[in-house]
Amino acid sequence: MNQTVTTAMQGATDGLVADLLAFIASPGATDEAFNALALRLFAHQFQHNAAFQKFCQQRGRTPRTVKRWQDIPAVPINGFKDLTLSCVPPQSCERVFMTSGTTRGDVKGRHYHPQLRVYDRSMTLNFRARFMAGRDRMRLGILFPDERLMPNSSLAHYLALALHDFGTPDSRYYLGAEGLQLDDLCATLAQVQAGGEPFALLGASYSFVHLMDALQARSLKFQLPAGSRLLDTGGFKGQSREMAMDEFYDALSITFGVPSSACINMYGMTELSTQFYDDGNAVLPAVKSGPHWIRSRVLDPLTGQDRPAGERGILAHTDLGNYNSVTTILTEDVGVQVDGGFLLLGRAQGAQAKGCSLAVDEFLRAAR
Amino acid sequence: MKISAGYLPGLAADAVQWHTLTFGEGAQRVDVSVPQLTPAQLVTLAAHVRVQGRAQLQSMPVSQIIGAIDRAIERLLNPADPYRLELELLLPRISGFDAEMVRLGLNAYLKTFRAPQLQRFVAEDFANPKLLDEFQPRPKGGMARALGPELLVHVWAGNVPGLPLWSLVCGLLVKAPAIGKVASAEPLFASLFARLLAEVEPRLAEVLAIVWFKGGDTASERALFAEAEVVLAYGGNETLTALRQHVPITTRFLPHGHKLSVGLVSAAALDAQRMQAVARAAALDVVRYEQQGCYSPHTFYVARGGRVTPREFAQALAGELAALQHKFARRPLSLEEAASVAGWRQAQEMQGYDGAVELLGDAQTAWCVAYAEQASALLPCALNRTVQVQALERLDEVVPLLAAQREVLQTVGLAAAPRELHALAEQLGRAGATRLCALGQMTAPEAGWHHDGRFSLLDLVRMVELEASAEDAAESFAPYRD
Repeated sequence: MNQTVTTAMQGATDGLVADLLAFIASPGATDEAFNALALRLFAHQFQHNAAFQKFCQQRGRTPRTVKRWQDIPAVPINGFKDLTLSCVPPQSCERVFMTSGTTRGDVKGRHYHPQLRVYDRSMTLNFRARFMAGRDRMRLGILFPDERLMPNSSLAHYLALALHDFGTPDSRYYLGAEGLQLDDLCATLAQVQAGGEPFALLGASYSFVHLMDALQARSLKFQLPAGSRLLDTGGFKGQSREMAMDEFYDALSITFGVPSSACINMYGMTELSTQFYDDGNAVLPAVKSGPHWIRSRVLDPLTGQDRPAGERGILAHTDLGNYNSVTTILTEDVGVQVDGGFLLLGRAQGAQAKGCSLAVDEFLRAAR
Repeated sequence: MKISAGYLPGLAADAVQWHTLTFGEGAQRVDVSVPQLTPAQLVTLAAHVRVQGRAQLQSMPVSQIIGAIDRAIERLLNPADPYRLELELLLPRISGFDAEMVRLGLNAYLKTFRAPQLQRFVAEDFANPKLLDEFQPRPKGGMARALGPELLVHVWAGNVPGLPLWSLVCGLLVKAPAIGKVASAEPLFASLFARLLAEVEPRLAEVLAIVWFKGGDTASERALFAEAEVVLAYGGNETLTALRQHVPITTRFLPHGHKLSVGLVSAAALDAQRMQAVARAAALDVVRYEQQGCYSPHTFYVARGGRVTPREFAQALAGELAALQHKFARRPLSLEEAASVAGWRQAQEMQGYDGAVELLGDAQTAWCVAYAEQASALLPCALNRTVQVQALERLDEVVPLLAAQREVLQTVGLAAAPRELHALAEQLGRAGATRLCALGQMTAPEAGWHHDGRFSLLDLVRMVELEASAEDAAESFAPYRD
């Protein structure tokens, strides 16, 4: 790319990002405005991302034929492993978030972020609205390694933002290079319990399982002050024993004295720039929803058509925050459209062969 | 409609709990109730079957057992027989497979269990089949006798119609009383066969039992396996590993894991005259049982140098798959299966950006061929009529491509000239294959095949040797000694 083109593109991108940040900041944005911005982003990505352009052309979709955001081709998340999905050269990006590579051995999906302004804005606005329950700051404990230890983890960055933007000065990490700092955490929990100030513990779902097992081994339970909250995310991913959802949230409330209605599950993906939340897990499965700059559909995986409301399908998300990669991704998660959002019903793997033939899914699980 | 499966000699139906498995929707819906015994009831059932086996089965000569199985199979091959009609009606609803495909598949399969085939089957493993009836003299001196297990336990998996018949017959031929645990995906076939066998041969009425419990029900598994002398199990490696943990160390465990199969097409088969028939045969191997069988092909490796290019062969195969969709429609896929097929298609598509893979068949078609000019290592496909065609310069280039799947390789279907066939047979055998057959025959192994390369009957028995020394010594204690 020569200098003039680079500069011209930079100008166009800056304008797009400015409009995007303005859209994110206006909660009353209309469907038309969402559609218009989605189509602008699509045209931008089609023009500047060669791999995505090929993907669209193979489906006969171009900015000339796509008139609705629903018609933007959804890129399967495997595309983040096999293709370079970026409008700018990857080496010029401030951050690359990588998937943990749980499904295909060590092949990691890569999500390129030229800068994190949009990601951070998306995260903080949404986190304040969905997790902070009206507070500006509270004491946070993080059950996940920090960004130094995991520079390519989007969750590490997400939690670092939470700590920095929403934590009081005594907030801190309880998971380091040597693992869970159980003594410190127990001391904090005991202190918080006595002090009466609300506390929030945030981390990977499997870290909560490990923590609960460790506390049970010490016969410890806590009754955290009213207003305390828990945030878990990501499921168990083979990192801890699997627990049924009701069992998991029951155990959380028994162990920490936090009602299930204040246990929030965040559904996020490396391939997105925006997260989904539920409003507590007293009723399962909890309804997940996102802010106005992300929209979700439930699709038939083969035809790509919308499934009727109430029927199971594969979730696809259109996240305007993904301005540099692709707005629309096809997940491997099964969901159902309901009033106010969608239900997340787990992963679509487990298509075990019903006969005695080895199937690709079983093969991939074995190769992990 | 409601039916019941299972077969419980010596146990009253109202003494056990029944569980309902539901298949299909609307008018096609079938509710199958299956018996779910307590661990204590399983032990009682095992004792009953074992005692009956000793009294009835073990005193029958093999030839009479073959006769009984033959009469049962004859009934199942008769299109007017009520058992046959029930299978034809219900198997398609339970498995979701096309009814005509099931009917044709059953015929081809059942034919391999007639008396002459069963005799051959026994002769494959026993040069002298009378070893199964009584002590026989051995060329090395002394005598020997083959005894089947006192109790054989089968754990079946999957929905490929008729699969349980294979191991059931093996057990009967070595006179093993048996308890079979049916798969939730297809509980019917084994149950009907046990009932039919009791009808054609009353002596066999109480030597087989058919039960059900949920996979992973460790209490039932432990109770049942503790009673068995041999446990024969089908399933994925995860399932088999879990099962093995509950089999006592002194019990023989014969696992049949999931397998992979491939097809090979030589340049000799690729002229305008023969190519279409070869493509047709290959398509049939893909369509039959929707690639759910261990013998079903995942990839066809095709040699260059014939009049027809590998790419043209791929197109012909796609054409045949399209034609077969009219005759045998693909069953509706579950969301998980559809996601798996879609994921496989997308992965192939993304590899295709540099021109490496060409997809034939779009997302709306009920089949998909992925053609690659450059062959790569064998990988499983997504089943349900998804298949790869890959080009090679020479067929023997396939050998290193199979290496990583050595443990799971099973059938290789071939269309090749005699010289190539015999040269390849040696190499494919070393690469892990256990069965080489013609394209078009991949899903129909011949009678008496050595499933996964093992001795289907010999693996079940225990040899009892009466050594010459005992005979000689006995002479010195004979009343007529000098």
